[in-house]
Amino acid sequence: MTVQAVGESVERLDILTKVQGQRKYPQDFSMPGMLHAVVVWAANPHARIWRIDTAAARQVPGVVAVLTHEDVPVNEYGINEYDQPVLAGDTVRWMGDRVAVVVAETLPAAQEGRDRVQVEYEPLPVVTDPVAAMAPGATLVQAGRGTNVLKHIRVRHGDIEQGFAAADVIIEGRYHTPFVEHAYLQPEAALGYIDEQGRITLIVAAQWPHDDIRQIAHALALSEDQVREIVPAVGGAFGGREDISLQILVALAVQHTRRPVKMVWTREESIRGHGKRHPFTMRHRWGATREGKLTAVEIEAILDAGAYASSSIPVLQNAVSFLAGPYAVPNASLDGYAVLTNNAVTMAMRGFGSTQPPVGYELQMDKLAEALHMDPVELRMRNLLAEGSMAVTGNRMPAGTAVRETLRAAAEAAGWRQVGGAWQRPELESPASSCRKRGLGVACAYKNVGYSFGFPDRSTASVELNLDASGAIALATVRCAAVDVGQGSQTALAQIAAQTLGIDVDRVRVAMIDTAAMPSAGSSSASRHTFMSGQAVLRACREALSKRDAALRQETGVARVAASAVYEGREARHTSPYDPETGQCEPHISYTYGTQIALVDVDVETGEVDVIRLYAATDVGRAINPQMCFGQVAGGVHMGVGYALMEEFVQRDGLIKTASFRDYQIPTIADMPRELISTLVEAPDPNGPFGATGLGETPTLPTAPAILNAIHDATGVWISELPATPERVWKALHLSS
Amino acid sequence: MATLNMVVNGDPVTVEVTPDTLLVDVLRNQLGLIGTKVGCGEGECGACTVLVDGKAVVSCLYPALKAEGRQVLTIEGLSKGGELDIIQQAFIERAAAQCGFCTPGFIMAVKALLLENPRPAPQEIEAALAGNLCRCTGYYQIKEAVELAVQRLNAQGGQP
Repeated sequence: MTVQAVGESVERLDILTKVQGQRKYPQDFSMPGMLHAVVVWAANPHARIWRIDTAAARQVPGVVAVLTHEDVPVNEYGINEYDQPVLAGDTVRWMGDRVAVVVAETLPAAQEGRDRVQVEYEPLPVVTDPVAAMAPGATLVQAGRGTNVLKHIRVRHGDIEQGFAAADVIIEGRYHTPFVEHAYLQPEAALGYIDEQGRITLIVAAQWPHDDIRQIAHALALSEDQVREIVPAVGGAFGGREDISLQILVALAVQHTRRPVKMVWTREESIRGHGKRHPFTMRHRWGATREGKLTAVEIEAILDAGAYASSSIPVLQNAVSFLAGPYAVPNASLDGYAVLTNNAVTMAMRGFGSTQPPVGYELQMDKLAEALHMDPVELRMRNLLAEGSMAVTGNRMPAGTAVRETLRAAAEAAGWRQVGGAWQRPELESPASSCRKRGLGVACAYKNVGYSFGFPDRSTASVELNLDASGAIALATVRCAAVDVGQGSQTALAQIAAQTLGIDVDRVRVAMIDTAAMPSAGSSSASRHTFMSGQAVLRACREALSKRDAALRQETGVARVAASAVYEGREARHTSPYDPETGQCEPHISYTYGTQIALVDVDVETGEVDVIRLYAATDVGRAINPQMCFGQVAGGVHMGVGYALMEEFVQRDGLIKTASFRDYQIPTIADMPRELISTLVEAPDPNGPFGATGLGETPTLPTAPAILNAIHDATGVWISELPATPERVWKALHLSS
Repeated sequence: MATLNMVVNGDPVTVEVTPDTLLVDVLRNQLGLIGTKVGCGEGECGACTVLVDGKAVVSCLYPALKAEGRQVLTIEGLSKGGELDIIQQAFIERAAAQCGFCTPGFIMAVKALLLENPRPAPQEIEAALAGNLCRCTGYYQIKEAVELAVQRLNAQGGQP
């Protein structure tokens, strides 16, 4: 029997219940006798706490408990290091710090109790500028560290002096990217209770449930097997659910009251309480020959880490490896700094340090193209990395390095042609209105798949086969703790299982994620589940098949077989940390690539940018489900368009100015490019299941620089700071000298 | 406390509410209709969209008592007999839901649009859905689903 499951646009496993409104998210769960909990948030971005008075709150009828730092067994958590207090006791460092939790019989009682908690603060100087925060004598965000510089990473590759000496042209630039809010539609929520085995159990949306229980157990002084997370439907994540949000608070309330407790954040609390994408300030200096070959690249990047470490060090590590772009650069000097401030904590968000660098390196590329009077596609083609090229970290690029294929696909779709051996852009029609100017902009980008820099990456999966009397597979149940946050990973895993087992996808079930029922599969991040968990599922299925065949040979009449498997990223490639002096290392397990070309009209009277058409060519290795791949590309472009033109999480003196969806605006259906022309580039990754690679993040990366380059092509002005709002574009057009 | 009588998904319903009770809270907390979602609580995201007497409203801003004597339709009422609405079927075929949290609100907004205008032009579809936020799909597959539903609806020559 030939079954074709991989490569088919099969129906998503979860979509029927989603269109019926039957699929349950954490806020949709309730229990008899449950209590309601609300947070008392920090009232200052940086202050000493002198006194927390809970007496009045406790007297509110219905209030059961008011929990403060004194009630937390081990008052610390954090995904990368334990530097965040569960409940602040002596100092608050950002507006997202939590000071108390009020637990009551009803939500109104809890809210009234919250309003009666009195906290006496002594305001401290607020650190908001990471550059100023690096200076000696700056106010310290975390006094115990002795510095605000969380981490400095340096890369020294080749000979930078010689590289600049060999250059015919030198291009400099300074670029800034803003804080960005994840804006998943489902606000944070959890229902906590004590299960039949006495475990503190949370129904919650998480990206890495097993890492959550590590942090919850630590804070509550429990062992990990005394804590359990069940992950039902997750309403989007994009990195924003990688850190703990309300999990420990709800678990603490359950531990304290021994009753079910529900907490649901409002949109304002969600925006206040979880971290953001890092703002980058980047300084570039590039040298190239007349023929357009890069000779030297010098870059400094300063990342605002916010008040606590969160993932800032891993994000910085990633970012530095991508700062110079997907280009062969013989001589490079890169410095990256992650700096603590009293701004919002910054964390994982779609791209994990690979989203900001293209705003620098792709504008540099176009500035260089302009200086050399060279076509921007042609210039890129002369410098792109290929299999075997040496990266700035000294490693050789692996098989499946497909950035050139993505550039070719996007350029051809947009009308580029090779004339006399060189790429040449298409002629553009003039826009109908005389106040509109039209332009085309190109951007390439790349990022890693899986964990990097020696951090061990592993996924696990098991499969159970129910056999009919003939030994054929009636039903296969896959258990894998890979959270489907909306991207469709469970459907992709079911397709991989079906293909491996030789059955139709409708005979595959994927179990709901429960830390008590399955081991860790790692996080839903780094575009890794199709690759990593796909391999684990594929292996578990192969093992189950051979068990089934062995059982059938013995004619045992066996009706069920089960198998499990582990896949380790180091089977694909051993990675290593940065060398502290030179930064040379083997950074990543695998890479994925994308190119986008934007066709825009700029209204020179209003500064408005209208994206007419966007060509996106995305490396997928192998499209497991082409329709869902398109969905990832389109969703990535949505975030890229927001990043380019609209989105900025604004703070002043540490206070939040974009506190709701009224002020923090994401693109609506009317803000999207009128046409999205997507090409999936299938250059197999030899280590991916059926050749597939990760897809979740790359489609976001090239959008903003492609639009910025198109704005320049249309108008001649460079917008070096995101977002390119009408105001910013208008000022660049009318006020620049 | 006041008594509220309304018809929800075809069934008469009587509940006790206070003057500041919102329709979404009655639906979710008192009637257990959890398909209506709260994404922002201030009418900005559209996840809580339901129909009152055939018109789309954001139920997170709609006072429950205003629904007195009216017909309320939620996502649960669309496929009541087990048969999917033409819009739901189109959303499935075009993979127009990812995380799915905004999906019921989008489908109800489309329902209201097609009740009023069974042959919307692309710009009319955009205008009708500009109040609904989605962070996952980029909207293209949603637009395709609406176009598919419109096409089928008109092939049937019927009302939605």
